[in-house]
Amino acid sequence: MFIKKVNYLYKFLIIFSLILPINISRAEFFKDISNIITINESRLSYGVSVTDINSDGNNEFIVTGFGYPNLALGYIDGKLKNIIQEDVFLDRDRKTISVAACDIDKDGFEEIYFLNTDTYSGTKKYSDRIIDKSNNNYFDLFELKKNIENLNLTAGRSVVCVDRKGDGEYGIYVANYGGPTRFYEIENNTITDKAKTLNLDKVTGGRAVVSGHILTDRADIFAANERGANFLLKNNDGKFEDVAFDYRVDDVIQNGRGTALSDIYYRGRLDILSGNWNGYHRAYVLENNEFKDIGNKAFDRPSRIRTIISADFDNDGFDEVFMNNIAEPNKLFKINENGKFEEIKLKTALETQGFGTGAAVADIDNDGILELLVSHGESKAQPLTLYKAKVDKNNKYLRIKPINKFGAPARGATVTLISNQRKHSKTIDAGSGYLCQMEPVAHYGIRKNEKEFRIEVKWTNGKKVFIDKIKLNQTITIKQK
Amino acid sequence: MKNILLKFFLVFAVFFPVELVAEEKNYHKELITDWSRIFPDKNRNAAGPKFFKYIIDKKITYKDFIEFNKLYCAVSGSLIDPGSDSEFLFIKENKTNNKICGNYYRCCVPCSCDIMKYSEVQKMKYKFIDGLREFYVITIKNPCNKNDFPNRVNKEYFCDGKKINSDQVYNLNNRIVIGLLHNGRTCKNDDIDLVKNHEITGRYCELRNNTPLEELDAGMGDIFIKLAR
Repeated sequence: MFIKKVNYLYKFLIIFSLILPINISRAEFFKDISNIITINESRLSYGVSVTDINSDGNNEFIVTGFGYPNLALGYIDGKLKNIIQEDVFLDRDRKTISVAACDIDKDGFEEIYFLNTDTYSGTKKYSDRIIDKSNNNYFDLFELKKNIENLNLTAGRSVVCVDRKGDGEYGIYVANYGGPTRFYEIENNTITDKAKTLNLDKVTGGRAVVSGHILTDRADIFAANERGANFLLKNNDGKFEDVAFDYRVDDVIQNGRGTALSDIYYRGRLDILSGNWNGYHRAYVLENNEFKDIGNKAFDRPSRIRTIISADFDNDGFDEVFMNNIAEPNKLFKINENGKFEEIKLKTALETQGFGTGAAVADIDNDGILELLVSHGESKAQPLTLYKAKVDKNNKYLRIKPINKFGAPARGATVTLISNQRKHSKTIDAGSGYLCQMEPVAHYGIRKNEKEFRIEVKWTNGKKVFIDKIKLNQTITIKQK
Repeated sequence: MKNILLKFFLVFAVFFPVELVAEEKNYHKELITDWSRIFPDKNRNAAGPKFFKYIIDKKITYKDFIEFNKLYCAVSGSLIDPGSDSEFLFIKENKTNNKICGNYYRCCVPCSCDIMKYSEVQKMKYKFIDGLREFYVITIKNPCNKNDFPNRVNKEYFCDGKKINSDQVYNLNNRIVIGLLHNGRTCKNDDIDLVKNHEITGRYCELRNNTPLEELDAGMGDIFIKLAR
């Protein structure tokens, strides 16, 4: 009789735990490692990018300064230190808010586009900079006489790199505010604005922008705008067509801020996360030629959103979404199977009093775990903060670093991890969040009992390569032929 | 044994927050998401009828219908924040001239006055996915013959020539339905006293509704009035 009762109770407990989703509070997710940043003074910062600025094979965080110096924070002897001192890079007098890096001249080095803004909207005083390197000296391509007529003198927000032709020659989409969008490419050795010929020269309140394989096998663009419809720019053989209304991502009466590409369903395609300023945050997944917003009430709750990042911080094989809010607590969600968002309550990285203005992820210390750098500013000077997830020692990882035929990071390419449990795509970030750009590496944590790994890389020209027989806990560099 | 299980369940439910039910609909988010579908030319001036038509064309329950209709202003076409208060007021019934009392969700105070003066209510029956229901809707007469049709209103939303455009707005006995009067019922004497003595529906509306049209400078002012008078 007693055994029968115990059996009954046991069965009940199993059924109960299977049926009910339970929000049992978890252990603290992040640890604060800001102490490794040397000379971390209060400052006004905005966008953050990740690129290998000194060509030493390791990435650095590029942090913009708004009336403060731009920084290139490299990991040296266990510390994050600024490694660039040249005036044209530091640029103390200009007000830099956005940054993206990519190889626009096909030499394998990623030029750095610094977007400067000294006015809210319309005409500005100081132009942007494109920092290039020659003989270990940094210089601004826009300062060359031949490029001066094409300066961007309109207030702007985000920038994103776009390999629109799929040939490794990157252009830069500049989301301007109160003036036409610009699209810079090098043509006849000169920086040229091609926005008009590519159907991109629209006037809007440009805010956030991403580029990648959203709709086609070429680089498409999603631009989250303010006081006007978003753009979803479909790449038609190198030119663009706005299909935001048709695909239901125009979101006309919301004010776009942070955006990122994320494989929300773990189904092998990139969908769109779009955070709206004090509006509903969107988790758009493509179904039957329309994007459907599947964010739940906790996810879409309006906030003072800035950067939004999709990444696997804790190496458990499921992506998290980090929402950086300004003067409001940050949020973190885990994307479970079937696109179910589960909020992870933060203490560390909550930043209740933080004026977050930008954030980026990179495995800056090469230990297989992502670091999250958060910048602050706008209305209050604050130091940078750096976080790292508390990772289970048994969790494994795999990092894929696609390099294009010119030897540069293949930003805009899509990496897909295929296993017995998922088909999980990640973009090689061309620019995302708000004003930011992540490391050009697809970082995967590995799930429990996951096996039979295969990697697919879809290059910016739509062609694919596959890699089998993969060992975990390493960064694999894949070069385009 | 049953007692043990019951106790276990109770203790568990108290100590752990459990999501037992499906997530509620977010009506406001749905209207925001579909805004460019409702107003393809981005002109929502006096376009409450477009919201009503969009909502009633959905396959929804009566509860959904009620909740959606709390979120836009029938006069201005503005969206209303969730949880906003309503105005208790009366509107003349079209057939009987009786005063029908109910709650009206508005974007701003003058709209309550305009709705009381320039619209009429009608009883409407409609079959929702959970059954047939009867309720009071707020209507205006067919404006399509007007020589002074307000130029800031998209006439194509309302009219097909001189007829009401039933593809775009809901036509009830040759009147345009512009919104829902919530909790509509025949007024009692106390109700009428309450409305007439209220700071807004009484004193303020008396002032507004006796002001010449050319002097109105609040709310949607002349746009809705020109459409509805």
